Amino acid sequence: MTARDLLQAQRPLAARWLKLTVGLGLLGGVLIITQAWLLALIIDAVAFADAGLAEVQPWLWPLLIVFALRAAAVWAAEQTGFRAAAEVKATLRERVFRHIQALGPAWLSGQRSGSLAEDLTRGIDGLTEYYARYLPAMTLTVLIPLAILLVVFPLDWLSGLVMLFTAPLIPLFMILIGQGVEAVNQRQWKQLARMGAHFLDVIQGLTTLKLFNASRREAEVIARISDDYRHSTMQVLRLAFLSSAVLEFFATLGIAIVAVFIGFRLYQLQLPLPDLLSPPDISFFAGFFVLLLAPEFYLPLRSLGTHYHGRMEAVSSAERLVTILDTPLPDQPDASGPRAGPAATPGASANDIGVGEVRFDDVHFSYEEGRPALAGVSFRIGAGERVALVGPSGAGKTTVANLLLGFAQPTAGRISVDDRTLSDLNIAAWRGRLAWVPQNPRLFAGTIADNIRLGAPDADMHAVREAARLAFADDFIEALPAAYDTEIGERGAGLSGGQIQRIALARAFLRDARLVILDEATASLDPASETAVQQAVDRLAAGRSMLVIAHRLNTVRDADRILVIDQGRIVEQGDHAQLCAQDGPYRRMVRLLEAAA
Amino acid sequence: MNELLRLWHLFRPYRTWMLGGFVLALVTLLANVTLMAVSGWFITAMAMAGAAGVAMNYFTPAALIRGSAIARTAGRYFERLISHEATLRQLAGLRVWFYRHLEPLAPARLQQYHSADLLSRIRADVDALDHFYTRVLVPMLVAIVAGIGFFVFTALFDLGIALLLLAMLLLAGVGLPLLTRRLGKKPGRRLVEAESELRRLAVDGTQGLSELLVYGAADAHARRLDDASRGLIEQQQAMSRIEGLSLAGVMLCAQLALFGVLWIGVPLVQSDVLPPQQLAMLALFSLAAFEAVAPLPLAFQHIERTLTAARRLFAVVDAKPEVTDPPTPSPVPAHNGLELRGLVFAYPGAERPALDGLDLDLPEGGRVAIVGTTGSGKTTLFNLLLRFWAPVAGDIRLGGEPLSAFRGEDLRRHMTLVSQHTHLFDASIRENLLIAAPDAPQAKLEQACRTAQIHDFIAALPDGYETWAGETGVRLSGGQARRIAIARALLRDAPILLLDEPTEGLDAATERALMDALKVLMAGRTVLMITHRAATLADMDRILVLRQGRIVEQGTHRELLAAEHYPRLLGLDAV
Repeated sequence: MTARDLLQAQRPLAARWLKLTVGLGLLGGVLIITQAWLLALIIDAVAFADAGLAEVQPWLWPLLIVFALRAAAVWAAEQTGFRAAAEVKATLRERVFRHIQALGPAWLSGQRSGSLAEDLTRGIDGLTEYYARYLPAMTLTVLIPLAILLVVFPLDWLSGLVMLFTAPLIPLFMILIGQGVEAVNQRQWKQLARMGAHFLDVIQGLTTLKLFNASRREAEVIARISDDYRHSTMQVLRLAFLSSAVLEFFATLGIAIVAVFIGFRLYQLQLPLPDLLSPPDISFFAGFFVLLLAPEFYLPLRSLGTHYHGRMEAVSSAERLVTILDTPLPDQPDASGPRAGPAATPGASANDIGVGEVRFDDVHFSYEEGRPALAGVSFRIGAGERVALVGPSGAGKTTVANLLLGFAQPTAGRISVDDRTLSDLNIAAWRGRLAWVPQNPRLFAGTIADNIRLGAPDADMHAVREAARLAFADDFIEALPAAYDTEIGERGAGLSGGQIQRIALARAFLRDARLVILDEATASLDPASETAVQQAVDRLAAGRSMLVIAHRLNTVRDADRILVIDQGRIVEQGDHAQLCAQDGPYRRMVRLLEAAA
Repeated sequence: MNELLRLWHLFRPYRTWMLGGFVLALVTLLANVTLMAVSGWFITAMAMAGAAGVAMNYFTPAALIRGSAIARTAGRYFERLISHEATLRQLAGLRVWFYRHLEPLAPARLQQYHSADLLSRIRADVDALDHFYTRVLVPMLVAIVAGIGFFVFTALFDLGIALLLLAMLLLAGVGLPLLTRRLGKKPGRRLVEAESELRRLAVDGTQGLSELLVYGAADAHARRLDDASRGLIEQQQAMSRIEGLSLAGVMLCAQLALFGVLWIGVPLVQSDVLPPQQLAMLALFSLAAFEAVAPLPLAFQHIERTLTAARRLFAVVDAKPEVTDPPTPSPVPAHNGLELRGLVFAYPGAERPALDGLDLDLPEGGRVAIVGTTGSGKTTLFNLLLRFWAPVAGDIRLGGEPLSAFRGEDLRRHMTLVSQHTHLFDASIRENLLIAAPDAPQAKLEQACRTAQIHDFIAALPDGYETWAGETGVRLSGGQARRIAIARALLRDAPILLLDEPTEGLDAATERALMDALKVLMAGRTVLMITHRAATLADMDRILVLRQGRIVEQGTHRELLAAEHYPRLLGLDAV
């Protein structure tokens, strides 16, 4: 799908409002013609019939009504145009966000989340002009001149011909603008964005530049890049503007010719025309009327350029959206998107997933062709067991967790829960049996209580408090000014890492989880906080199965089983004593960590 | 208004361009008004002369009509060229101007701007300033000059008509923008709120997607986002209603002016005060005149945006650098040892000092480690050593010379920092390495990368050293980025090495490999390292335990294992 296809495909959403907008525009056109007609009548009567105010009043008052109607039509067309864009924006924003959700965390980890948020907010808003102004203007550019021609031809076919002959430039210039210039414009537009990004990049890396005494040099680089951009842009613009200058030229020239031809005929002068075209006689009224219509004939064309900017902005926004929407959804049971509730997917309901034993049998997985993340991993987590996963970064620890959480499906092999294949289970029900505490838990905008009941929105305050108590979080929450109603700042601002961890643990306590997946925090917590987190984790593990992605020696020691993973394979497993007894990677790792102790 | 004056001053180098753009914009406008007015006069006059059978000079007006058609076209073309030229020149100038002012402020004065959001706002602000000329200055000047001209011209025929036209122009060009601004104040505020609400939900919904999915809250979040999206659209609609008002209003003003011209003019024609062709001319003239004020509502909006942007940028630019370079040339240090005496430092607005009387001796070639919890003052110490900040009290000496005697750049020639955050620029890996040594030949880059154990990885990439790194480039792991930082430090070849948790967040195997690279880097250099990795600490000559800005314990690794704080900081107490 190209950006243009995406923009086109959304048109049906806006169709009703677009029609109305075009209709109002056309009404405006009719009113313009009426206004010109009334004005011509008045001037004609005053100039040639010696009419005074009293005589022209029958036309003056309708003129006032036309003015009011025109203003109302312009205002209303703004509103309907906006609505046309609004329908598209709301629908597309939801669709893109749902698509992002369905693509899941595995895909998201390869994206810059800041830019995704930008696409969802300003990117979608960038479509406004396209639907609100550009599309209606495109239609009106044809309709209004046509309506004017229909009026002018019967009155004075010569002026009609002048307009008609200058007007074929309409399609001509549409094509001209539409092709060569567009490609170039898009390129310049992108280059401008890139230049801005470079400026931002330099500001962000200013400290680094300064460390290397490179910061002053960079000022020249900025100047050079901007200057290069100016040169290349101006070269393009000199040509690009030429096409609109030609358009402008024919438009103004058209008006001038119409005026001169009318004036000459009114003075009974010979027109510089071939005999074939014997010019028709014209009355002052008709001549003045046509003269008034001439600028209105060319106006839609001339203003096309302004709307063109809106189109360009929309295309570049749509390009970003297309790259998101064109990413195919991973092949997974809830491929219909997170919209699929428990009832929508067949499979076991939450109640009958027991989670006695989880098994990985020869599981393979790769994020991209030829780069296996897991290459035949087999292990089991028995009911109530505590299993630790250790290994270097990039070895596949996070992938194991992702597969277990249903963020991705094994490319080969089988993951089973009590001998039922994981991908056959209802994914929402399965996740309902999991508690997951990631390395850097995310707190969401809202109160602390809302954050704790993320997985159970209906939980009452009593349950929330109890969960917080179990997670050793009750004390510090109560000490906050608004306790559980404290609003969480951006990324949990104001809370320490250990406190955020404990709120995340409280979340886990609040649901009836059978399997806890814990990715230990690597960031150093202060000792007191670390102890509290550890105690909470131990409490959470009691009576549940647990898979710990371990980064610390002391948490590994107590595990029932330690899986040492390297390059997508499990290279060793056993408990601490067993693994220390053999000369393997685990013992080397322990030695390293304990080297000095 | 002070900002406007400063802006004007800032734009001084481009005044000629701007003046050119202004003149051409004025010519373009006047050409169109002339075209319409003369056409109206011409037709009516010709018709009257034709009807009365009297002779008239039709060459001059016909030529005037053709001339203004050409002037309009040429004017428009060159006006667009010149204004774009001016805008682009100015953009380059503004960016460099801003950068030159920002550079001395980094990093101390920029700490408050650390979030990427604020930085990108700075960028948008610079762009907003750039639009000041095309969207504010030119339209306003053209409107003022043309407005006065229009008044004088119409006053030649009738003062009443002139006054009426002026009143309507003022209403459309000044009254309406002020009215819409007033009306838009509250919806504008609500719009900003709705925008930030949506942004927050979008950021939460993407960065927190894993949690939302696992906790079954994804669907609810999507609904919240949709609600916020529709809420934002409602607010935008409210704004659009007001903007539509100004659009329709300008048009209505033009038409009412026409109505007024007729109302005043028709009796004047009847009483033979005004010839009919002049009424036709004035009618068309008054309609066309409103092209002058049409861009003003937008210009008023931009004024506010520009002034806010200017205020923010001037605030940044006006900030005094935390540390200023001495006027005298930097001394040559006798050796590369550091002595710190009674160092006190507090960040502005902080409750307690970050450093509270710190003493430290680091002889040339020595290796000292600093251990402490977050907030104990470790990174502050580095910032003082690099002279990014200046101490409140106390004294730092490099090779016996006080640090304040050095110019920043000269001082940093003696030091290199490797930290856990490596900024990779949006450029090729080669260019990222060249930052440290702009003239280094490829062989030297490769050698540094070999030592940093990153050469094989880079060489295996399809584009090798030309591979794009940074934001839009290939994603490097933490360990890889850190190695590039080490390679940079090697290329830099400074005698004093500052290491800020160089292996933090890496697993044991990667850490060990990185330590091998670091050992090569450390060889023969004076080293000050922040770390709490036991394996690294064992190799250091001396270790200082920092707590709330003071040294509470010091000694070798073995000695300190028996101390109170040290083992706990290393996470060794539980083992």
